[in-house]
Amino acid sequence: MKRLQPIVILAALFCGGLNAQVSFERLERALREPQNWLTYNGNLSGTHYSGLDQIKPANAASLDLKWVWQAQSLEKFEATPLVVDGVMYVTEPPNTVAAIDARTGRPYWIYQHPMPETTYVCCGNVNRGLAILDNTLFLGTLDAYLVALDASTGRKKWQTKIEEYTHGYAVTVAPLAVKDKVVVGPAGGERGIAGFLAAYDARTGKQVWRFNTIPRPGEPGNETWPGDSWKTGGGSVWVTGSYDPELNLIYWGIGNPGPDWNPAVRAGANLYADCVVAIDADTGKLRWYYQFTPNDEWDFDSVQVPVLADLTWKGKPRKVMLWGNRNGFFYVLDRTNGEFLLAKAFVKQTWAAGIDENGKPIKAAGKSPSVGGTDVWPGVQGGTNWYAPSFSPRTRLFYLTAWEDYHTAYFTWDQNYEPGKSFTGGTARSPIPSIRREPFIKWGPEWGYGVVRALNPLTGEKVWEYKMRDVSDAGILTTASDLLFSGNREGYFFCLDARSGKELWKRYLGSQVAASPITYLVDGKQYVTIAAGHSLFTFGLSAGRAGAEAKR
Amino acid sequence: MRVYFFFFLFLAPLLQAQHGSIAGTPFSTPEDVKAGAQSFRSQCAACHGLDASGGSNGPSLTTGRFKHGDSDEALFRTITKGVPGTPMAAFPLDGREVWQLIAFLRSVNIGKSAERAAGDPAKGSQIFAASGCPRCHTAGGGGGFVGPDLSEIGSRRSLEQLRSSVLDPDAEVSPDYWSLRARTKNGQTVTGLRMNEDMDSFQILEPSGRLRSLMKSELASYEIVRTSPMPSFRGKLQPYEVEDLIAYLASLRAQNANAGEALK
Repeated sequence: MKRLQPIVILAALFCGGLNAQVSFERLERALREPQNWLTYNGNLSGTHYSGLDQIKPANAASLDLKWVWQAQSLEKFEATPLVVDGVMYVTEPPNTVAAIDARTGRPYWIYQHPMPETTYVCCGNVNRGLAILDNTLFLGTLDAYLVALDASTGRKKWQTKIEEYTHGYAVTVAPLAVKDKVVVGPAGGERGIAGFLAAYDARTGKQVWRFNTIPRPGEPGNETWPGDSWKTGGGSVWVTGSYDPELNLIYWGIGNPGPDWNPAVRAGANLYADCVVAIDADTGKLRWYYQFTPNDEWDFDSVQVPVLADLTWKGKPRKVMLWGNRNGFFYVLDRTNGEFLLAKAFVKQTWAAGIDENGKPIKAAGKSPSVGGTDVWPGVQGGTNWYAPSFSPRTRLFYLTAWEDYHTAYFTWDQNYEPGKSFTGGTARSPIPSIRREPFIKWGPEWGYGVVRALNPLTGEKVWEYKMRDVSDAGILTTASDLLFSGNREGYFFCLDARSGKELWKRYLGSQVAASPITYLVDGKQYVTIAAGHSLFTFGLSAGRAGAEAKR
Repeated sequence: MRVYFFFFLFLAPLLQAQHGSIAGTPFSTPEDVKAGAQSFRSQCAACHGLDASGGSNGPSLTTGRFKHGDSDEALFRTITKGVPGTPMAAFPLDGREVWQLIAFLRSVNIGKSAERAAGDPAKGSQIFAASGCPRCHTAGGGGGFVGPDLSEIGSRRSLEQLRSSVLDPDAEVSPDYWSLRARTKNGQTVTGLRMNEDMDSFQILEPSGRLRSLMKSELASYEIVRTSPMPSFRGKLQPYEVEDLIAYLASLRAQNANAGEALK
């Protein structure tokens, strides 16, 4: 073979970086390119829905393992990958990014963020994913940096310090790219942080705006915090929000107030903890908010993905937001103005006597954390939590993973704040571990169990459910062929009929699923990917079946 | 062991004060240097090269500067604790062996530390920009990502290695920068930087910036090109300009330890 002329390649390489240009317009229209998975939630509406339909109820039983990617780390693998034109980008704990061939699972490059010896996180050195804009990937780190990487080579373009990690600020959330900015915020609700959401210029990393999720003195809402209690008020940000391009509003769920279980030291509503906030994408100014659990006493972070849907509400088209909250209630809000439309409990709950007509919870008596412990449903991990729910525009159903009949004993005590240290003002004890540490399930189902539930968003009524033995930390994917994919702590990954809940296929993966599935298409073949244990598993139709499908 | 620990806890600082950093380790006799050289070959050479001048997975340790700290204490820490987030592992050696390694490293750097670039780094910086280097290379802020990141190259390579890279880029090309040239069974020619290769497949970075995976079974023929895509600057730059460029590259040193590493 003729020797390659170096100068020819050189000239060609100079043009590098022009590929994989994921413009913001592409992100806005992500549903029009279902072969890709361009944002944490698959699209900016947070529906975790895909237009792909090659895998369908008739052939789902022939799903087959195509490849496995093993992470180096033994930490919990919570990431949702991105797929851009045949390349998968995934974060591995703690802060490693891998670019992988989405068809074969082989690696292109790996970026390792240098980690400090100590991290200050409540629940493991986890990371949930990336954002992409143009040819740049954005990673938040446990030492509270926002890092920009070249998507072709994995080389770092810039990094910006978000906050001081030794004071309990850590980034575990997948950033959200909106227009020319990247929005991100810190976790640390159990470390006495004062939270915020901030937007950074995607090209330079310079901060453009910052919205304080715990209002500082002089800012509206600070009056809901007595004295200096706002300084350790939490209001963390750890699950990616959504964006409505027509309204130019970013919606984001905010974490619990701190200290978690000692509400007496922060008497007041504690804005904007446990809220959804609607923020102008250009200025960072608050347009409206809705608070699910004022003066939260049970660690009911409202960090769930805001699911944006357009529904016919009482005969009229309405832009709504669907929200299965950690506090056990399913909510519908008008996303143009935050108007409360509906709340209905989707699991057993005992903390509220009801939700009044204005959307304010009526707290039940005797449910506050106590010195001797108070039993409350749902327990500390909530009726649901951070893993993705889904809305299918075809079935018009809202799907979520829920912990049913699950409770916790909540304890309270006085605690002094020390920077970087755990600051929870109590504790919570449940027979079911909050974080799965071992593969055994020995407690009885009377302590709680997991379900995938389909709800009618117009009423909050259950349409069907899929019951599991153990609880689940897995998110949900629905597709245009009316399939639903999810998994659980037991180690199963499964496919259900999204209309009936009937199980069509499942596979035991040998370790817990604590992540949300995605789907994509390469070379005309559809794949489904899920993280389980310390590995990423990708399934597709078995060769014979896929070949037959392709010929049709 | 206990004696050694006592020795370096209490006497090492005294020795350091008396003899400066070269003799700063409590074990710095010629025999210790020799023992350190032997340890280096068994423990360190796989990544840092037999003569400590650097390999594909570890920087040169002969430039007189160390990215994670120049002091004996810093070197001791780097060797025994490793550097998180990099391939540098922690080496659980006993104290004497670590100090002998440091003595060896100091000995290799005595000669090199006298090495001084003859050129003018400020002029070299202009030559770097005018010669098109930033199109492929990052040096500090900005620049391309296709070629090696040169932001800390002065800490990683000797003057001699830098000169060779500029004048004779093909002399030593890291496998990280080998290319694939292939022809598919349907007649398409494919070229690109080889990111990975296994029994059945290649993963490459195409000139367009696109990442692409190829199964070997899909290829009619292929060749791994071990030459550098970088042109030689021999004859293109005057000798004094080359020296200015070398001086500039040598001045690019590690600024802080918090710089991510992209692994191939």
